[in-house]
Amino acid sequence: MHELHHPPPPSYLGMTAQEITEDVLQRHESSGRQFWVVAGVLGVLLAIGVIGFIMLLSEGFDDRNVWGYYASVFAYIFLVAQSALMVSIALRMVKAHWRRPLARISELFAVVGLFNFFVYVPLLWALPVTDGRRSIWFEFPGHSPHLWDTLALGLLVVIGLALLYFASIPDLAAVRDHSTGSRHNLYRRLALNWEGSKHQWKALQVGISILGGFYFMYLVFTHMLISVDFAMSLVPGWKDAIFPAFHAISGYQAAVAIIMVTMSILRWKGGLKGYLEVDQFWGLSKLLLALSLLWFYFWWAAFFTYWYGRQPAEQSVLKFLMFETYKVPFFLAFGLSFITPFIILMWNVIRKTIWGPTLAAAIVLVGAFFNMIRFYVPAFSVEDSTLHALDVVPAVNTPGMADILVTIGALAGAVLVYMLGTRLFPIISMWEMKEGLLLQKVRTFMKIEIKVLAKPE
Amino acid sequence: MQERVRLDDAQINRDLLNSIFETPKWYWPLVGGLGLIVLTGFAAAGYMINHGVGVTGLNRPVMWGFFITNFVFWIGISHAGVMLSAILRLVQAEWRRPATRAAEVLTVFSLMTAMMMPLIHAGRPWRVMYWVFPYDFARGVYPNVRSALVWDPAAVFTYLTSSILFVFIALVPDIAVLRDRSTGWRHILYTVLALGWRGSVRQWKLQLIAGILLSAIILPIFVSVHSIVSWDFAAAMSVEGWHSTVFAPYFVIGAVHSGVSAVVTVMLILRWMFKWENYIRKEHIESLAKLLIVVATTWFFFFLLEFLFGLYSLEGPEVALRELQVFQMPWKGLFIAFLLTAYFIPVPMWMFRKVRRSIGLMLFTTILVNIGMWLERFIIFIPGLARKQSFTFTWGGYTPSPVEIVIIGATFAMVSMLVLLFSKVFPLIPLGDAKEGMILHDEIKIGKVTVPAVKREE
Repeated sequence: MHELHHPPPPSYLGMTAQEITEDVLQRHESSGRQFWVVAGVLGVLLAIGVIGFIMLLSEGFDDRNVWGYYASVFAYIFLVAQSALMVSIALRMVKAHWRRPLARISELFAVVGLFNFFVYVPLLWALPVTDGRRSIWFEFPGHSPHLWDTLALGLLVVIGLALLYFASIPDLAAVRDHSTGSRHNLYRRLALNWEGSKHQWKALQVGISILGGFYFMYLVFTHMLISVDFAMSLVPGWKDAIFPAFHAISGYQAAVAIIMVTMSILRWKGGLKGYLEVDQFWGLSKLLLALSLLWFYFWWAAFFTYWYGRQPAEQSVLKFLMFETYKVPFFLAFGLSFITPFIILMWNVIRKTIWGPTLAAAIVLVGAFFNMIRFYVPAFSVEDSTLHALDVVPAVNTPGMADILVTIGALAGAVLVYMLGTRLFPIISMWEMKEGLLLQKVRTFMKIEIKVLAKPE
Repeated sequence: MQERVRLDDAQINRDLLNSIFETPKWYWPLVGGLGLIVLTGFAAAGYMINHGVGVTGLNRPVMWGFFITNFVFWIGISHAGVMLSAILRLVQAEWRRPATRAAEVLTVFSLMTAMMMPLIHAGRPWRVMYWVFPYDFARGVYPNVRSALVWDPAAVFTYLTSSILFVFIALVPDIAVLRDRSTGWRHILYTVLALGWRGSVRQWKLQLIAGILLSAIILPIFVSVHSIVSWDFAAAMSVEGWHSTVFAPYFVIGAVHSGVSAVVTVMLILRWMFKWENYIRKEHIESLAKLLIVVATTWFFFFLLEFLFGLYSLEGPEVALRELQVFQMPWKGLFIAFLLTAYFIPVPMWMFRKVRRSIGLMLFTTILVNIGMWLERFIIFIPGLARKQSFTFTWGGYTPSPVEIVIIGATFAMVSMLVLLFSKVFPLIPLGDAKEGMILHDEIKIGKVTVPAVKREE
């Protein structure tokens, strides 16, 4: 939010390491007026969300249906924010150099995960015990999902924050070395005596790899717990082995989308045009296209097996979740998560722009929202989850005022927390950018300029 | 770390065409031996057709046995071609170069072999066309196009056609090199197949575009083939353990696991046979092993989903099936062997760099994977059928007969023989790709260290 003070730098490949440090630190130190105005508005919206939450609380937890939209919003933020870290982790694993400018943008979503954990807690009172109904906990005590899902989500948040913090240490040290007073003291503590010794760099690399790998596996596991315990197991007759994987794929798709939208905003209002270039949008848009296709494939595998099987219990589930009761959110999700991004991103000409991938990403984020609504709202509307099949399809649950307020408040809170996170952690990972300068060169080859990318072990 | 091997075009031609212009002493005896096994297999199939499927171990209600298991196994192996060639080409992975041709060729031959299995299984192969072609030949009865058994041949044929096209398009520049270096009948053959290739800028551009287009087009076919094969089972409501929504991606990723492992096995054997150490380098095997860790772990996740959600509803027959698979002999032994060989031995071993760069250990682990993946299919298909169902009054088990074992053995010999014969006519490592790799190879100096690098146009 300080474009006026700092004009955008040229492409970072033309900058020196010193210039990158100075530019990023300058932007990090000063937040413009616009930043605080937006933060203030989001704070007000969050407060409105709290009012909605109190309205929901006043209705109690006996009627699970009341908490359907609340659960959807929790699931949506979980889907987007907790998966967002995967973009950085996966691209770091495959050593994609173009990831460098977006690494911190992706990892910073860990702070949104922390916010969402607080959103999650009230749902524990709305979730029924597993006694007498199908669940992945079989003979475990009835409160198993309450305990294990909380532990799983909590640990995921902790690992995410640890990854964010660990990967930021060299940059926190840079802030320490370029600041004075209380700011210096804060960052001195945060930087943990980082001096950039060979040993410290090695520990950093190993730590990031281990935390990243663990986060990857653990995220998939948490997707399984949340999606089954808070959606599938509440609907009698819904036995869908691919659902956890579909949930995870939807998460990765939404993650790529949120990174692209965030990048666009940072280009537009954060003055980061020199760092976040077409390269990053092009790379991510290919990923988004692939994930949109996978979204369809996983959906189709589940739909087709049910539809072709003609089993009454499964047909009821299809009618409930897709073609009758919740057809509006389903068709919106289908159109916005698969058809529209596919039509936009299938063209390389569009993928190589800023606006095209951003538009597709924004559409995908809306689609992902409806995708969560079509799972969690119906699941919470089923009165008796202990039946073997959905004999009576419940009526559609349309959102009330409290649901709308809570949704707006939770989403505003998530954005606000992310914005505040950018004040603590520099949004561009300086050390990775500088490493990138060493490992990428522009050379002339047969009369054209090409990039040469080092591939160290 | 990438090995810094610099080779000029002439040496690349010489080295990679050695399989065609030189014949090692072992070559023909090996091909002959394999041919003998293949003939024995055909003889066994002939015997079975003559005497009827009673000579197999198939028995009500287990009417799908070794042949169908082997069909799915070879379809699985065929997924290596697209996984390695198309996907790695699209993501511009440099280490794909020596693996693509072997993968594509393995795809074609394993598909051809796979297609023989249902034909043999049918007992009267000539009747198959009445069942699968969506046309009323004589009886006034159209085949049921809503049956997964009709979709199967359509998918597999499409995949075979596109795979052959894929191999051929990539081969054209190499065939032109062969044309310019051969005489006699070979020269005529290569002249026809080279389609007038001169290596002009326009031709290279067209070849490049065709490669990328085919890669993109073949991807959905690749996914659809094993999905449809999985629906042969998932669409059958009456067999416990089969009607699962995860089957399609579970089969596809399993196919990639076994297929990529098979490509590594083949590459290591070719490296040893034709002394291609400069081309199939340890860095390539290491990268493939890293890919395999990811693929295997994803596959294992899907396996867990399939198993967990089999038990999810705690329905009696479903639980009984899982008990049969896991706790009763001989399935118990096979189940343990499957888990160990498909995942728990190879994947922990691949975590170590020394193993990833060891030719012997990689050969061992990739062969293990395919033993495990063959067993996986066997364990999915047979116990489900062997479970006693309502109204099944004649109830037998399944033990494969010698006829089936001989035919299955012959399929492995056939694929090996066909790859060897292919290597006598066409190069198994693309010359153009190897040369392009050398051109794109570069170095970047960082301080006192020189790091291998690669040129990227975009």
